[in-house]
Amino acid sequence: MTTNKVNNNIRYIIMLIAVCMFLLAGCSTEGDQELEKITVLLDWTPNTNYSGMYAAIEEGYYAEEGLEVELFQAAAVVQPVAEGTAQFGVSYQEQVTFARVENIPVVSIAAIIQNNTSGFASLRERGIQSPADFEGKKYGGWGSPIEEATLQALMEKYNANYEKVDFIVTGEVDSLIVIELEADFTWIYYGWTGIEAELKGMELNFIELKTVDNALNYYTPVLIAGEKLISENPDLIKRFLRATAKGYKLAMDDPAVAAEALLKNAPELDRELVMASQEWLKDKYQADAPVWGLQETERWTNYTNWLFNYNLIDRKIDVDKVFTNDFIER
Amino acid sequence: MKAKLVSTAKNIYPSLLLITFFLAAWEIICRWANIPASRVPSPLLIGKCLVADFPLLMSHLHATMYAVSVGLLIAIFLSLILSISMNRWLWLKQALYPLLIISQTIPIIALAPLLLILFGFGITNKIIVVVLVCFFPLSVNLVEGLEQVDNEMINLLRIMQAKPITILQNVQLPSVLPFFYSGLKISVTYSVMGAVIAEWLGGRAGLGIYILRSLHTYRAGNAFAAILVVVTVSLMLFKLTEFAAWISMPWERIKKNNLED
Repeated sequence: MTTNKVNNNIRYIIMLIAVCMFLLAGCSTEGDQELEKITVLLDWTPNTNYSGMYAAIEEGYYAEEGLEVELFQAAAVVQPVAEGTAQFGVSYQEQVTFARVENIPVVSIAAIIQNNTSGFASLRERGIQSPADFEGKKYGGWGSPIEEATLQALMEKYNANYEKVDFIVTGEVDSLIVIELEADFTWIYYGWTGIEAELKGMELNFIELKTVDNALNYYTPVLIAGEKLISENPDLIKRFLRATAKGYKLAMDDPAVAAEALLKNAPELDRELVMASQEWLKDKYQADAPVWGLQETERWTNYTNWLFNYNLIDRKIDVDKVFTNDFIER
Repeated sequence: MKAKLVSTAKNIYPSLLLITFFLAAWEIICRWANIPASRVPSPLLIGKCLVADFPLLMSHLHATMYAVSVGLLIAIFLSLILSISMNRWLWLKQALYPLLIISQTIPIIALAPLLLILFGFGITNKIIVVVLVCFFPLSVNLVEGLEQVDNEMINLLRIMQAKPITILQNVQLPSVLPFFYSGLKISVTYSVMGAVIAEWLGGRAGLGIYILRSLHTYRAGNAFAAILVVVTVSLMLFKLTEFAAWISMPWERIKKNNLED
């Protein structure tokens, strides 16, 4: 092997690397100097829960407040918001409570949807009409201790034995497939999965959590911010929520426009489902509250006590610190 | 060269035939058993989704491939530097080699909060995951390759008072190339999947994001179309690596041809 040949080979490798470099080119980043960049983390893929924020982006409500908002879906929301990697995030009461128990300094700053729209769904032909009928049935869930406690609470109310429920973990599998093939009932958000079932013409029995047990009418989803941001830049939070509230107002008054904003940012979604889900949700964002986003102490206290009573948290949290209405304009 | 091309072409037919048979059976079973598309999409439906969503898929592919190529490049540089240093200083190898193995046993999803806090939600955390995935097969192969370099040749050059860099350039690197490429073949195969997993941790663009969004709106056909893109791109990267190996190691070609003749 001559030196010349070897040098040739090394030249080939360098050329290969150069080609790769070339492939990378053409990815430039541009930034708007005048607008303040804000990161909001989403706890799931884009859906109608978030459409108020997509509407606020598309209608320029955030820009009016001097903000440029970017929405990212993320597998972890609470920690990055607490650390300040992101300014805001979408979470839910249970998650915020668990975070506070672990001394992670996040605060719920607005309820995106006023009442809990989740519940237990099953095919109508299985005849599950109340929690008493859960006995001897198979439950397909994501394997959280909350699910077991919730079933226990509901079934005890109906004098049924929750130990007679067969729990299976189904993870990322489509809920509607789960209740058809693997299990008898599962936990869904009606505004998305329930609507999908309606569109498919599946007949469901749906047991809404909040109607069975008042303590289970917790806030889901909520917007959260870190304590650090709250003490250092309250004005930013006010501006963010003002524009966000405007976006959700639009989603209530003109659901089709908000749905289009969502679809524009996530064209992968099924248009028919987004439109139908938006129509169903439009009255649920604010519901009976005087303005969008308000939270009540009682609801936080009830669910905290409930979690404590079922040994899901080992201490009660200070309810006054876990949420705030300070940034919502009435 | 001709012989080589013909033999590859011959080799591809059995697997093409098997794939065709498999797809046909899949399509027929889907139709015959009337399986709903949200459960198992038929190959034709996947094809339709692929065509309909092609521009969108390509824009997501762009984001994914950016992370893949930057990650791969960093992994290549890093493993070259590390393995050469480990080969030169035994104590460094003793210190680092176990850590290398440990790095591969960590379930990445458990690191999600940490990766997101440290590297944000943009491209950086995806690049890090790709580096983590690709770095290991390369390093292990390079370390092994460097150990098997002909010591007599190195000694000869040393007697001729060659500098370490000359030895590296003329003896060590060329003889380690086959090891480098067999490591790279494994790395590129896993690199796209690594990027997709990283996108599941958090992000706003990429094939992983596309797959999640499709699944969450019950469009399995679209998710499968994205899988097809991932597979195609991974295969292309693999073939590209084989081609690079073929070009940069002419002496291996000669060896192979001699064997075949």
